[in-house]
Amino acid sequence: MRAPLGTIAGARSGDKGGDANLGVWVRTDEAYAWLARELTAARLKELLPEAGEVVRYELPNLRALNFVLLGLLGDGVASSTRFDPQAKGLGEWLRSRHVDIPEELL
Amino acid sequence: MIRIGNASGFYGDRLSAVREMLEGGDLDVLTGDYLAELTMLILGRDRMRDANLGYARTFLRQMEDCLGLAVERGVTVVANAGGLNPLGLAAAIDELGVGAKIGVVTGDDLRADFPESLTANAYLGAWGIAECVRAGADVVVTGRVTDASLVVGPAAAHFGWARDDWDALAGATVAGHVLECGTQATGGNYSFFTSIDVDRPGFPIAEVHADGSSVITKHDGTGGAVTVDTVTAQLLYEIGDPAYPGPDVVSHFDTIALEPHARGVRISGVRGSPPPDTLKVCLNSIGGFRNGTTFVLSGLDVEAKADLVRRQLEGALGPDGLTWTLARTDREDADTEETASALLHVTIKTPDPKRAKAFSRTAVELALGSYPGFHVTAPPSDGTPFGVYRAAFVPRDRVEHRAVLPDGKVVTA
Repeated sequence: MRAPLGTIAGARSGDKGGDANLGVWVRTDEAYAWLARELTAARLKELLPEAGEVVRYELPNLRALNFVLLGLLGDGVASSTRFDPQAKGLGEWLRSRHVDIPEELL
Repeated sequence: MIRIGNASGFYGDRLSAVREMLEGGDLDVLTGDYLAELTMLILGRDRMRDANLGYARTFLRQMEDCLGLAVERGVTVVANAGGLNPLGLAAAIDELGVGAKIGVVTGDDLRADFPESLTANAYLGAWGIAECVRAGADVVVTGRVTDASLVVGPAAAHFGWARDDWDALAGATVAGHVLECGTQATGGNYSFFTSIDVDRPGFPIAEVHADGSSVITKHDGTGGAVTVDTVTAQLLYEIGDPAYPGPDVVSHFDTIALEPHARGVRISGVRGSPPPDTLKVCLNSIGGFRNGTTFVLSGLDVEAKADLVRRQLEGALGPDGLTWTLARTDREDADTEETASALLHVTIKTPDPKRAKAFSRTAVELALGSYPGFHVTAPPSDGTPFGVYRAAFVPRDRVEHRAVLPDGKVVTA
């Protein structure tokens, strides 16, 4: 079913120098199996077209994925001219994007 | 078990939190994180104006209010509020006249190695703090130690951990990572905020055990929540590779086990491995000057209005260093003026302070001669310097990590 990702996933994002990090987690093993399949680095770039190079890490113990968005913030928060230079709202933006979520996970 | 609280996640966090944490229940140690990459730049500019500054001044106010209370309750205060000038902060705390035993951690300042930078600070680990705590300090102030070291140091001192107790150090590092952003662990900035009461979240506490495992909790009666979800959210904040490197240990975030506990969340199972043989250095330099404004474009022809003002400003000032973004926040046929309006943001970054200042005049001069409905959300300023952040790595032996003990003795950590 088409629904915002945030219906089932939480997220938190922030800055590390010129890179942003974006952690996404879900609350059940079934939801994690789906998330890990669905939310590849390439799919993240489709959902957040402003992203450049993206590295994905898996944390199955936390039912979480961590994405590092390389270079999104230029030379860091004090220098960036980007809207939201500390990437605080990036995770909430991702959660608002609509994706096809299996009905049994909703 | 040692009960370690947190009362600050950044320079500017809730001023009353130190008192709330001291009065709200039992603690052995109260920590506070005041330093971020950006904070080092802010403190660097403070220090340019006055060499006696360069530390977090709000912490001094908190100690003026609460250090006596902490000493009376037997709570050791540990904070990285020393920033670029931990010895200056220690002297200022001493002048408060509380008579507290003060420990100081220094050696992070590497400006001699990076003379082109406004600030250059290695991320030190926990052992300087541990030396100060072992020596009986009531308050320990540091410069740039890693945020998690504020928790690891007192725990290592309490349990007598060795430098190669990798798993215990990693466990405490994870507890420290959960605490370092204050209320971000207890429901602040939390995706599922509508499911908890987060109007005034309490600050977090880690009950750390001898094996490095911990229970994350908060004082009874405070707001917010400590759940597997709120702790997971904070574990994901500002990390990269799950093999999370630090100055004392590499903490493997993919080995963390979380489970609900009667008082919050239990963290166990964390594996550690030896740290890299280099230390990370946070470098800030002044990159130039910046200025900016936001034009409000209401109603029809939004794109054409944006094009006109952009042509005009670039024509008068030249296009170098200008960045434009048009946010189409406007709706068609809107029933309020605000929702009929789009926002055109423009920023200038330039090495020339005069050009940053000229930006303001040039933008204002357009007011009666540009697109219909011209106005800005706030008038542009004279422009301000901006910082450029860079990380570097240095061999460990280039850094002299020192603890100044309460009796004045200096030991290498």
